[in-house]
Amino acid sequence: MALSLREETKANEEAFKKTGCLFGLETLARKEADPGTYEAVWHILSNLCNAAWATGCKVSSSPIAAEGGDALWGLHTSTGEAVCISRGISAHAGLLSDMIKNFIDLGYEENPGFKAGDIFENNDPHYGGIHSPDFDMCMPLFYDGKLIAWASCVSHVSDAGSVTPGSIGFLNPDCYSDGLPISMERVGENNRFYPWYEMRIRSRTRTPDFVMGDARGRLAGCLTIRDRLEEVIEKYGLDFILDASKEYVEDSRRYAVGRVKTQTVPGRIRKSQFKDLAMKGKRVLLAKQDIDCAFNLPMELTINADASVDLSLQGASGTVPFGENISPTALKSGLMMGYSHIVGFDMFNSGPIAAWNIEMPPDGSWANPFPLNYEAASGVAWAPAVTWVSNLYEVFGRLFQMRGFVEEMAAGSGTIMTAEFSGINQTGMYLTGLTLEQASQGSPARGYSDGENSAWCIYTPEADFGNAEISELYYPILFLGRNVSPNSGGYGQFRGGLGHTAVWMVHNTPGLEYQCGDAGMRSKMVANHGMYGAYPVVPDRPAYGHKTNVKELIEAQKPLIHGRGDPESPLIASLIDAELVEDNAIAPFVTPEPLQDFDIIVHPIAGAQAMGDPINRDSASVERDLNEGWTTSRVATDIHGVVTNKPNGAFVVDAAATDAKRAEIREERKARAIPFKDWWLQEREKVQAEENMDPAILTMWSTCMELSPKYGEELRAFWALPEDFTFSG
Amino acid sequence: MAEFDKADIEKLIDGVLPWPATQDMLKSSKDADRFDKYVEIMQARVDFKDPILLPLTPMLFIVSAEGERVVKCRCGHSFGDYRANWKLSSLINVRDDEASISEIYKGREMPDAAWVQIREYICGGCGAQLEVEAVPRGCPPDFDFLPDLDTFYGEWLGRPLPDTVRFEDKTLDKIAEWSS
Repeated sequence: MALSLREETKANEEAFKKTGCLFGLETLARKEADPGTYEAVWHILSNLCNAAWATGCKVSSSPIAAEGGDALWGLHTSTGEAVCISRGISAHAGLLSDMIKNFIDLGYEENPGFKAGDIFENNDPHYGGIHSPDFDMCMPLFYDGKLIAWASCVSHVSDAGSVTPGSIGFLNPDCYSDGLPISMERVGENNRFYPWYEMRIRSRTRTPDFVMGDARGRLAGCLTIRDRLEEVIEKYGLDFILDASKEYVEDSRRYAVGRVKTQTVPGRIRKSQFKDLAMKGKRVLLAKQDIDCAFNLPMELTINADASVDLSLQGASGTVPFGENISPTALKSGLMMGYSHIVGFDMFNSGPIAAWNIEMPPDGSWANPFPLNYEAASGVAWAPAVTWVSNLYEVFGRLFQMRGFVEEMAAGSGTIMTAEFSGINQTGMYLTGLTLEQASQGSPARGYSDGENSAWCIYTPEADFGNAEISELYYPILFLGRNVSPNSGGYGQFRGGLGHTAVWMVHNTPGLEYQCGDAGMRSKMVANHGMYGAYPVVPDRPAYGHKTNVKELIEAQKPLIHGRGDPESPLIASLIDAELVEDNAIAPFVTPEPLQDFDIIVHPIAGAQAMGDPINRDSASVERDLNEGWTTSRVATDIHGVVTNKPNGAFVVDAAATDAKRAEIREERKARAIPFKDWWLQEREKVQAEENMDPAILTMWSTCMELSPKYGEELRAFWALPEDFTFSG
Repeated sequence: MAEFDKADIEKLIDGVLPWPATQDMLKSSKDADRFDKYVEIMQARVDFKDPILLPLTPMLFIVSAEGERVVKCRCGHSFGDYRANWKLSSLINVRDDEASISEIYKGREMPDAAWVQIREYICGGCGAQLEVEAVPRGCPPDFDFLPDLDTFYGEWLGRPLPDTVRFEDKTLDKIAEWSS
């Protein structure tokens, strides 16, 4: 008698435990027998997923999917392991896999049963979803009456009915405000959605046509996978496809373990990381949200002798009354995405993560909220998670360097600040949604070169900020500028790729909400990514002007604002008259009232992190950056120690003066710095006295010490504090 | 298995290897002797003779010096036993107020000193800026990496080191000395 899927899953787990190989595959028989066909079929399956992406995004027609490609399709084994995925937002591959496994584990095979044409969905963080706008779908695929695989998809809808418009619900105070939940449901049969599924979307989301468009796009992509897979099975045989699918996953696990063993070093890695969420005094929804919050996002990673990897998040701080809490399942998916970028990228599937032993984050922390705070909101759960995953880039970059694989190194990512609009557009249509600016940041510095400008994004290899003209079609805005932001890639021997600044003018609307959102931004802090002596990327600080004189400026053909300007003398203040000018806003926020025609928004997008001592930067690179307008004279001289002249209108390095300046900087550093012990003695007094520590920082420390007693013990031991010491937050 | 010239690896490290050759390194299967070549290159670039056991960063190396495994800067300045965080033996400059932070970040680029301090770890020998941390007050310095050197050499490289040491974090031993 055939095993049920739940029994099969259990058998797979036991085989893995016994052999150390996924599915107990100690040999890759199909690969060994016919490596050519094995490789060819992998690419066919991969293309089949990409065909689903192309079809699904076009059917969807929402700006996020059709223009930004913010969606993903996958092919899975019958027990849910991802075999291969499409291009698109790769951060979700683990979530989709875990969703299928969850359906199996919850006994859905018996009730309501799995049959051809069934459509299942989840977006509920309490059951493993990330946040309500990410609708996860799966469909069981049958051949000759047997369930042989699953097709899956996620798409990011423009509005999921949360308490505020849009899809970056950072303001959501609790899970009840997170929007429309699809809680592990069968939402359709016979390849069609139930009518009540559509009715629910129509009654509870603000842009139902786009949301249903996305649903149809997901379905179209999954059906594409189904049809194409049948063709592949007809050609290569069912047994081959079933065997090879499992081998691809195990093969990928072996690849990742092999990379760890041949390109890293065993030992223990620690990486601290922090993030701010300053909301005190801003427009919030509930009184309890009138606070500033800070997150502790620590990573401890141990590479064992057998090249397995232990991962701990001990020390994670408590939940926040905003949408920045994440379920451990979703966090694991983010980790899988980061790991696939850095280590396990040969065949991206569920294999690499199998070699990880992930310690459950502390109950009641932002990374595991529900055991102690079932009401925690997850409206933009990515925000802290993506900031934490950024650690992986630096951590593995350090390990690759130790083995000499400099070409594989990367510093950490920058930050992710989003822009969302809601209101009536120029055609009289209500719209809400995300612009795509943040999907194209600078890429991290590499061990041998600067990162690339506006060409990378941590959560998707599909870095693309979309066409300005398409954004202008949907939203009532006009682009006045889209410029490279100088000094936005940190300061180091190699700098991160630079970010860009979008300048928008509100146009043709009775009123537009601008939500400057948190999807992993920092505004009070900078990241702890000073790799090898570099300085981290600057904080996110947008600007806007409300009730401006821009209409008059246009009529008088006077200069408009097209960029950000100097950090100490912003252009918005010097070029625009307005009733309200905010030139250095602490993100995230929603403007106090809707913006109106001719209002201006200056929205910067981060570059990525740098590496190496800034005074080791090649002076010719500094000269180029000066001439391109990518850096400034102050940074060149004071931080990089590069002295230049401008004999014929262009900057030229003075080599002798540069050498002298750099020698001077070295001596100044030694004269100014003090022995660590001396600092420690002074600093422990300040720590005890909580000197110049924001209340948000104190709360962060006190919650993380309470939730992770061992972490607290070590922190006290480091500062030689009394055993009962705790912070007052 | 690919093999790359030492000269090309040197060019890569210096950021002058042409892009096609860099791509070749990225895309090819990795060279098994890279670690040894890299250590040879670094050994020729440092100002000391002690054999490098592990390049901890491009500037810091775990070396075997008179029977001890210690961390040394490229200039030869020693930071002591590799099992205690080397940062405790370095010079440090901390920017924790507006005036000092504004020397790096200006105007709207400035983080808030009540939320984060910028710690610069400086070599007492050559003045190199070895690491920068941006963390709130109260955060112990990151012990970026504590390698298990004996497993690495014995089990992964298949050539055990002549002596073995216990794999343990000795950072708090130092703190205990300071606080006693």
